[in-house]
Amino acid sequence: MPEVIEKFYSLKELWKKLPKLPVDRKYLAGGTDLIVGYNLGISSNECYLDISDIRELNLVRENKKQVFIGAGVKLAELGKNSLIKRWVPALYDCVPHFASSSLRNMATLGGNLANASPSADGVCALAASRAWVLLNLYGKRESKPVLSVLKGPKKNALKKDQIIEGFIVPKKRHKAVFLKLISRAKFGIGKVGICVCADIEKKFVKDINVVLSSVAPTVFEAKKTSSILKYSYLTAKIVEKASETIRTEVSPISDIRSAQDYRREMCGVLLERALRYIA
Amino acid sequence: MKKYLLKCQVNGKNIEREIRPDKTLLEFIREDLGLTGTKEGCGEGECGACLDLLDGRAVNSCLMMAAQAHGKKIITIEGLRDEKNPLIDSFAKEAAVQCGFCIPGFIIKAEELLSENPEATDDEIKESLAGNLCRCTGYKNIIKAVGKVRKKCLK
Ligand SMILES: Cc1cc2nc3c(=O)[nH]c(=O)nc-3n(C[C@H](O)[C@H](O)[C@H](O)COP(=O)(O)OP(=O)(O)OC[C@H]3O[C@@H](n4cnc5c(N)ncnc54)[C@H](O)[C@@H]3O)c2cc1C
Ligand code: FES
Ligand code: FES
Repeated sequence: MPEVIEKFYSLKELWKKLPKLPVDRKYLAGGTDLIVGYNLGISSNECYLDISDIRELNLVRENKKQVFIGAGVKLAELGKNSLIKRWVPALYDCVPHFASSSLRNMATLGGNLANASPSADGVCALAASRAWVLLNLYGKRESKPVLSVLKGPKKNALKKDQIIEGFIVPKKRHKAVFLKLISRAKFGIGKVGICVCADIEKKFVKDINVVLSSVAPTVFEAKKTSSILKYSYLTAKIVEKASETIRTEVSPISDIRSAQDYRREMCGVLLERALRYIA
Repeated sequence: MKKYLLKCQVNGKNIEREIRPDKTLLEFIREDLGLTGTKEGCGEGECGACLDLLDGRAVNSCLMMAAQAHGKKIITIEGLRDEKNPLIDSFAKEAAVQCGFCIPGFIIKAEELLSENPEATDDEIKESLAGNLCRCTGYKNIIKAVGKVRKKCLK
C-alpha cells in the first residue's frame, strides 16, 4: 500500500526529489498495469512516483532523421498523431487493437515496455519499427534497441530508478501491418500478435522486420523468417517457406487464452495474411 | 502515511482535500465526495462501470490513484445530470436501462464520443462503447439511445 505519492512535472524535479523518497518506490504512469496489481493485492510499493504529467515524457517530435515519442504519451493521442501516422505506421495501426478506448486514454508506451508482458502490443509495433528506447537515470542518458530491455515475462533490465524517457524511430518510408488474434475484441491480451514492417516494391522485399507477441517469453523478433523474406520476391513458395519457418521459430505455451499448437499454427496463418495485406 | 493535498475541480466545483495516498480516484469520488453514481464493477479495467471524464477524456477511475487527478477537471455522472445532459433522457426513453449499474459508465463514454464526434455512426458508437459491459440489456437499446443524441437526430 503506498504510504507516499509524489507528483512530478519535469525530470529535473524528479532527480532532485528522488533521493529523499522511500526506497521501495515505483513509477506510476497510466496505472493500467500497476494499479490492476495493486487492486488485486498482488503488487504494492511504499511510494508511487506519479510521472504522468512530466513534460519531457509527453512529447512527440521530429528532426530530419528521427521521430521521438515520449514514454508518457497516451495511446489514444498516438492514434491521432500525424507524425505517427506517417513515420510509425505500425504503431498507428496497433492503437485500435490496444485495449478499450478508455484504457487508451490512460495507457502509455513506457508502461507497456517496463511491464515486460510477452503480449505487449505497443512494444511489438515499436520493435517492428526498429525503435530504440531512450533511458535516463539522474540525467545520464543511454539508448538501446527496444527489445534489449526485455529479460523475460514481466522482467525488464531497467536499473533502479532508470526512467524510460521515450522512443526513437528512424524515418524510413515503409508499410506496416499489425494483426492480433483475440477471442473477444477490446478485452486486451491476444492469443497471437504479429507486426510486419516492410519496404516492398513490385513484390520484391527490399527490407522486412517481423515481430510477434504472446508466442515467446518476451515480444519476439522472428529473425530467421525475416531473413528468408528479405531480398526475395513474394512468390507462393517463399511465403509458404516463411510461414513454415515462423512456426518453428516461436515458442508458445498453452494457457487460459489458447493452446500451444493453435498459437504455433496461427503464427503462420497471420504471417501469410500480413504479407498479403502489405504486398 | 503522508497525506496528499489534492486540488482539482469536480463537476465545476473547486475541491481541496487532504487524502490518503492509497486512495484510487474511484474511492475518492465515491467515499470522500459521496458521488456514488460512479460504480465499481471489476476494479481491473475490464467493465467500464467506473468511467469518469478527466479533462474531457473518459478514464477508468478504478485504475487511477486519486492524487493523479491533481490539477485536473473531473466530470461524473452527477455532473452530467445537473447540466441535463440529453443522453440521460435518451437512455430512459429508449428503455436502455435495466438494473442500471453499468449505465453511468456508458453515458460518460458516450458523452466523450459525441463531444468529439457529434455525428458518430453506429459502428463508431459500438467501437467506442466496446470497453463497457452490461449484464442485463443486450446493448441494442444502449446503441439506439446514444444514436438518438447524435447532432442530426437532435435537429
Ligand atoms: C483491461 C485491460 C486491457 C489491456 N489491454 C491491453 C492490450 O490490448 N495490449 C497491451 O499491450 N496491453 C494491454 N493492457 C496492459 C496495459 O494497458 C499496458 O501494458 C499499458 O501500456 C501500461 O501502461 P501504463 O502507462 O498504464 O503503465 P503503468 O501501469 O503506469 O506502469 C506499468 C509498469 O511500468 C513502469 N513504468 C511506467 N512508465 C515508466 C517509465 N516511463 N519508465 C520506467 N518505468 C515505467 C511502472 O513502474 C510499472 O512497473 C491492458 C490492461 C488492462 C487492464
Ligand atoms: S470497475 Fe473500473 S473498469 Fe470495472
Ligand atoms: S443495466 Fe444492468 S448491468 Fe447494464
